[in-house]
Amino acid sequence: MSLDDDLAAWAAAVRLPDAEADVIFRRIIATPVPVAGPAAVPVPGPARAAVPRLAPSWWGDFSAGFAARMIDSTRPVRRAA
Amino acid sequence: MDREAEFRRLYQAHRAAVHAYFTGRTGGHPSAADLMQDVFLRVWQHLDELADLSEDRQRAWIFTVARNLAVDACRLPHTRAATEQALAREPARTPPPVSTAVLAAERAAVVGEAIRRLPEQQRVTLALAAAGELNSSEIAAALGVPAGTVRYRLSLARRSLAEALGHYDDQEEER
Repeated sequence: MSLDDDLAAWAAAVRLPDAEADVIFRRIIATPVPVAGPAAVPVPGPARAAVPRLAPSWWGDFSAGFAARMIDSTRPVRRAA
Repeated sequence: MDREAEFRRLYQAHRAAVHAYFTGRTGGHPSAADLMQDVFLRVWQHLDELADLSEDRQRAWIFTVARNLAVDACRLPHTRAATEQALAREPARTPPPVSTAVLAAERAAVVGEAIRRLPEQQRVTLALAAAGELNSSEIAAALGVPAGTVRYRLSLARRSLAEALGHYDDQEEER
């Protein structure tokens, strides 16, 4: 059995049966079609919970602090007198 | 325009490919049929806009809706959990073969499992080619990627499948 035969057998197994596809077709065409009005009324979306945000300067602050620590870490430790 | 006739034409032309797309995206989950229905419900609702487009643009429109729905569906916890569960499922242990029918069923299970384990992009591309019966250019238009990428993904997917079936055939010979 070739790979193409195997794939064809798999495709036949997963394909939506015609009877089921026909049921879906009939269900869809039974759905009323929305009529376009003179002015489209915007549909409000679901209310979204407020997400806490970082301060706009956070990246600058973070990278400045990080750079300062890196520079400090490369300096020799001062010996106590 | 005869809405029902026009819709039937689009439905017959694209339903197999759209279902194949969702089969690939969900790893063969039954929700593929529900997602396909959602896509064609939108086609039905926007039929007036679609009727004026060329066939290629119609396919692109339909698959844009399909891709968006797939993204939304993957965000739903139950869908994602079901998909991950389906993908993580261990291959079923099958009893020793007793007939040709059992051998064929066992081989089909090996193929199905190997396809489920493919990376998603390869699985979707392969599903569109095998179950959706689209060629490389049509798949490229549907997924919004170059045709060369489609051919590359198909080649990788087929190689993985050939390896999986090779292992299976070796085990069969040892039995």
